[in-house]
Amino acid sequence: MSIVTVQLGQCGNQIGHEVFNAICSDVHGTHGLCSKKENESYHDACKERFFSEEKSGVPVARAVLVDMEPKVISQALSIAARSGYWKYDDRSHFCQKQGSGNNWANGYSVHGPKHKDIIMNLVQKEAEKCDRLSGFFTIMSMAGGTGSGLGAFVTQCLKDAFPASFILNHVIWPYGTGEVIVQNYNSVLTLSHLYHSSDALLVHENDVIHKICAQLMNIKQISFRDVNQVIAHQLGSVFQPIYTAEGALHYSRSPLGDLMETLVPHPEFKMLGLRNIPQMPESSLAYSSFSWPGLIKHLRQMLIANATMEEGIDWQVRLPRPGSSIPSKHSTSKLLHFNTSIANLVILRGKDMHSADLGSFQDPVLYTSWLTPQDAFNLWKTPRAFNKYEKSAALVSNSQFLLKPLDNLVGKAWNMFASKAYIHQYTKFGIEEEDFLDSFTTLEQVISSYTTL
Amino acid sequence: MFCMLTLFPRFALLQSLQFWRLLYSLLKQVHGGQCTESDAIDTQIRFVKSALWYHGYGRPELYWLPSDGSAGSRELLLAFSWLLHRIGLLEQLLARNRVRTGDETSVCTCEDDLPNSQKGRTEIAPEYSLEDKVDVRYLQWLNGRLRFQWRSLHALHQEQCKLLHKIHLFTSGSHMDKILGHFSVTETDLIRRPENYKQLLQFLESETIQLEAFLEWKQLEQVYWRWMETVLDNMSEEGSMCKSQDAHTKKSTLPKVDSCCHWAGSLTGKIDRLSRDLMTVHDQLQELVTRRKSAWYEKMKTREEELQKEEFCAAARKIQEAVQLKLLDLTYRCALRKKKMHGSCRLVFRSKHSASKTGFGRSVSKEPISTVSATEVIRELQMRKASLERELKQLQEECRQRMDEVAQGLDGVICISP
Repeated sequence: MSIVTVQLGQCGNQIGHEVFNAICSDVHGTHGLCSKKENESYHDACKERFFSEEKSGVPVARAVLVDMEPKVISQALSIAARSGYWKYDDRSHFCQKQGSGNNWANGYSVHGPKHKDIIMNLVQKEAEKCDRLSGFFTIMSMAGGTGSGLGAFVTQCLKDAFPASFILNHVIWPYGTGEVIVQNYNSVLTLSHLYHSSDALLVHENDVIHKICAQLMNIKQISFRDVNQVIAHQLGSVFQPIYTAEGALHYSRSPLGDLMETLVPHPEFKMLGLRNIPQMPESSLAYSSFSWPGLIKHLRQMLIANATMEEGIDWQVRLPRPGSSIPSKHSTSKLLHFNTSIANLVILRGKDMHSADLGSFQDPVLYTSWLTPQDAFNLWKTPRAFNKYEKSAALVSNSQFLLKPLDNLVGKAWNMFASKAYIHQYTKFGIEEEDFLDSFTTLEQVISSYTTL
Repeated sequence: MFCMLTLFPRFALLQSLQFWRLLYSLLKQVHGGQCTESDAIDTQIRFVKSALWYHGYGRPELYWLPSDGSAGSRELLLAFSWLLHRIGLLEQLLARNRVRTGDETSVCTCEDDLPNSQKGRTEIAPEYSLEDKVDVRYLQWLNGRLRFQWRSLHALHQEQCKLLHKIHLFTSGSHMDKILGHFSVTETDLIRRPENYKQLLQFLESETIQLEAFLEWKQLEQVYWRWMETVLDNMSEEGSMCKSQDAHTKKSTLPKVDSCCHWAGSLTGKIDRLSRDLMTVHDQLQELVTRRKSAWYEKMKTREEELQKEEFCAAARKIQEAVQLKLLDLTYRCALRKKKMHGSCRLVFRSKHSASKTGFGRSVSKEPISTVSATEVIRELQMRKASLERELKQLQEECRQRMDEVAQGLDGVICISP
């Protein structure tokens, strides 16, 4: 029932720290809007999942922090300790002085093997503290050197050392116009390696979150902290305690296992996208009210039209009606092409969630031909509101959400690779051209699997 | 039900219907299922017939009995006595109804095809008939779900072990029984929730009643069997007269019983498969042996020529010793296999012997109770795991070869194995 979080690299550590913040503030907030008993069992479930008891009484996050530079880790440690609500274990971190220089090969082939024993020792200690280990949640960015390269290596080591545990990789998709020249190489190498060792890849795109901050949260000067807080909110809405079955009496005790089983049992389809509504500045929360039918309608259209937030959804995209001619999937009119899903998971948090009708998500046309909605669609809910939102709905979807970004990424990386640009930086650390080709093959296979749904 | 067993002479007067129901409830208990009184009589009769067939009861007259339960009390009596003797019906019932300590675990490594799963089997309605094609991706999906569920189960087991260890560790030294040393789960639960003592007391009392009834039965058992002999004698006199008449018409009911017995069918399938495997393995071994022998003789000849005579004798002696050790090890391992333990054991914690970091539950070494240590079990399981891995590799290799052959037959197809 416990999840061990492994925060990798600068991005991973910043986000990880915000995630624990969001979880803690949700648990301690007084806006649960449910009975005291419900609140207490929510609190207990959340505590067991993310924190361990210490003698001082302050909950200690079940996390291992890894980075090649000391700055971000020490910031994360001190901010957490100052909050008074939670903290990191002082011994559960590892850092060096020199960084990885945004070089995937450096992280994977040099830092990884060199520090493998120390890092895995830290992870082992955290795992032993858990009565029941649900699995590992790693947070990393794809563009840099440490998070991506060392992260891919660590994921492989986790898989070898804990073959019976679940591994969920949270991956940050870099800005399209990112500052790192070789980010496409790093991304391709990361994704292909993670695909082999991880059970699922949950993706957040920086561009998307940036848009949410700008348009929905009305933030003028968007800092990394704002972006990370939105990401943390979205992750919290997925991982906080939830009832996974109709009429369940206890909060589910196997968060990662349940997630994997509903969404990624097929080994070729591991890319997960996350949408969470509503999303608005905290100041507006008091003046807004929501209805389940409205939220569900928006969420469904976001799924079909592949929209990233609740504003600017293309309502023209519709599902073909049965009996009418189904537009061929490879038709040129991409406008009418809707987002086909393999599996969807909807999570509802807030009062009166039992009145919500999810029939619209169970339309067989939404899903690929070889899965029925009974297999493909799952609904989890709890009456306990999350993070001050009276009602919130999250959608974790294994669908064609990430097909276009992935295709673009591989295309750009391939163009660079064709002209052999910057390859020497990788070969000098042991990543040869064949490794690149293998990665491209893996990702092309993934793209083709998702395209022919 | 149990107490009725002491009143055996009255069985002869029991209506067949009641007798069917009695057998149904007893067999259901033995097979771990729940007694559903609401089941129609023909469902119950079908179950009893299939259970008897599973256990190997071969008297056709019983299977020819009608499904409305109107006749056949004597046949049922025979079947009941057969069950008493053959499968230790009463002992099994006693074992099932024991009060649990919560510390049970099983070290049995036999393949599990108990009919406990019968309920599940009848509920699984196949979504596709055999003519429909199934998308292989759906099968991969289901396989993935199975894998994940297995992993969750594994995590559950680990949690149970951890918590059991904690209980044993924290309560060690507190138990009245000095050899045991620590509390069991049930005892610990009683301390945490003393208001549950009434329920525990009830369980213990009912178990005591059952045990007393069993002891009574044991004293009267001889009389019962002597009486059964007279019943059998009567039956054989009458039976020889009517046998020829009924033989033809009633044969048809047997196959129907067949179809209910999923596990019986699978058993025969397994036996066929095993005998086939045995033959192939035997042939393969013969081949291997002859090949090895000839290769060895060649080697011997060349070595003899290379080495001087004295050196050769010394080398030969060393080799002989090594071979003898290997043979000993083999025979030891084969002998060990026979000593398999079945059923459940109780986990007892022994901290004195834990030189390793994970000193865990080991069984107590009290006189009459048979024990086995955790390290032994772990070693056996590791050996089993290694042999299963070897088998898996071999099967994968065969599969790969078969796929290559198929791919060669197809033009322009490149087979990339995973």
